[in-house]
Amino acid sequence: MGATRAINGANRGQNRAESRAPEMELIREAQAGNRAAFDSLVRQYEQQVLRLALHLTGSEQDAEDIYQEAFLKAYRYLGNFRFECSFYTWIYRIVTNLCLDQLRRKKTRREDQAVILDHSGDEIDMLASVSDERAFSNPARELDRKVLGIRIQEALAKLTPRERMVFELKHYQGLRLRTIGEMLNTTEETAKNTLFRATKKLRAQLAGLR
Amino acid sequence: MNCELAHESIVMAVYGELPDDAAHNLERHLAACHDCAHERDQVQALKLLAETLPVREPDANLVARSRMRLEEALDALPPKRWLERLVQKLRNNAATVQAAPIAACLLLLAGAGAGSLGGYHFAHARAAKAEPPRTADVRTVSGSLPDMAQGAEIASVSSIVRQPNSQFVEVHYNQLVPQQVRGSLDDPAIRRLLMLAIESAGNAGVRDDSVGLLAAECRAGHGCQAAGIRDALMVALRYDRNAGVRQKALDGLQPYVAQDLRVRDAVLEALLNDSDPRIRTEAINILEPVEADTSVRQVLQSVATTDRNPRIRLVSRHVLSQVGEIQ
Repeated sequence: MGATRAINGANRGQNRAESRAPEMELIREAQAGNRAAFDSLVRQYEQQVLRLALHLTGSEQDAEDIYQEAFLKAYRYLGNFRFECSFYTWIYRIVTNLCLDQLRRKKTRREDQAVILDHSGDEIDMLASVSDERAFSNPARELDRKVLGIRIQEALAKLTPRERMVFELKHYQGLRLRTIGEMLNTTEETAKNTLFRATKKLRAQLAGLR
Repeated sequence: MNCELAHESIVMAVYGELPDDAAHNLERHLAACHDCAHERDQVQALKLLAETLPVREPDANLVARSRMRLEEALDALPPKRWLERLVQKLRNNAATVQAAPIAACLLLLAGAGAGSLGGYHFAHARAAKAEPPRTADVRTVSGSLPDMAQGAEIASVSSIVRQPNSQFVEVHYNQLVPQQVRGSLDDPAIRRLLMLAIESAGNAGVRDDSVGLLAAECRAGHGCQAAGIRDALMVALRYDRNAGVRQKALDGLQPYVAQDLRVRDAVLEALLNDSDPRIRTEAINILEPVEADTSVRQVLQSVATTDRNPRIRLVSRHVLSQVGEIQ
């Protein structure tokens, strides 16, 4: 099995290298000042950036600000990108740092974001998009789920910004711990320990829930 | 495996980050440790619980709004000054070279090699343009450099031999000694030099002067009987690159077309092959006394139909129409 994994890993690596070749050309063109090339890069990653920012901050306005700031920084410092990592890791590094700054500012102001707000400040029902064929026949269960969501949000808000970020990237974005370490400019081992601490804290916060 | 390590491994296993061998050890521990098995259940429950908070995809309005705002901000950015663009370009180039050190080294070696080779060829070409030097006799000198003829210079050093167990060396060198001579055109020595000058490859002016002088002598009938001068003029007519030199050679050979078949053949070759139409026209005129010659008529017939110059074709046909009986 070890040999099979090694072969599969090599094949995946080769496929990744082949699929990165057009992106590298796009990045080089953008570095040379081609605005259309940069716009193409933005389109490739904007969904992921907004998804992460929205889920972390709980605010469409904050997500929009992070999107703006992240891509402006990317545009300004694109010349410093040396292809030592993937562009995906590079742009995520910018986004996660901005999100961490945002989380730290919120922690300082002691704002607990238990609900998601849209750009005009109205609450968004997070669970409205979750389909449940029994929703109309069991409103009580629907309410339970909504309360559950709020409790989870509150528990997440009690983590440190770094713990929240690692848990977000691992659990909700599905990234590997090694990638998370690269994005947060730390080691895989540190990311592992941070995830462990985050899950322990969350378990303590959500102990009474079933 | 102890329980503390097991608790950490459980989290990694639930999130798919545990290596296979560690997963195997964990399974063995969980099979034996009830508390840790319960811990695993709790972590799995937490994962399920956290998943009830869905990750919302940004809606199209949010994406469009964000994109538009970004484009406005990018449009508002001032364009980079030429210095900033230059610095950025240099950085990118340096990064490209840094990222390919082997390619950079090979490029450097190739550039150095090409430069050295180019320099060698340039120096070699310059040396080859110099006149062939006279080889001097071996002389023994001491205390000072050898006396040199006035205006002479050392062209090259061909060998150096050191005598064993002594301070004496033997140096073979070549010297260039400019000379001049004056004399009459009838002087055989002057004529010999003029014929040598016809072969002077690098100097068209010298060839032009020498061919002109010899051709004038031949037209005047001054001692052009010697085969050497006519041969030199025929060589100039056939091979010289300069049309003016060929023209003068043709003029000099004109008196001998009737009596010397070699000269006639050389002129016929010029009529067929010379690239200059004036020389071909001149050759037709020179061949007029012998236009009844079969070879001449054959060449004229060929020229009348195939020459690329219409005037020459016309002149050839005219000459052919006036030819009488075969001589």
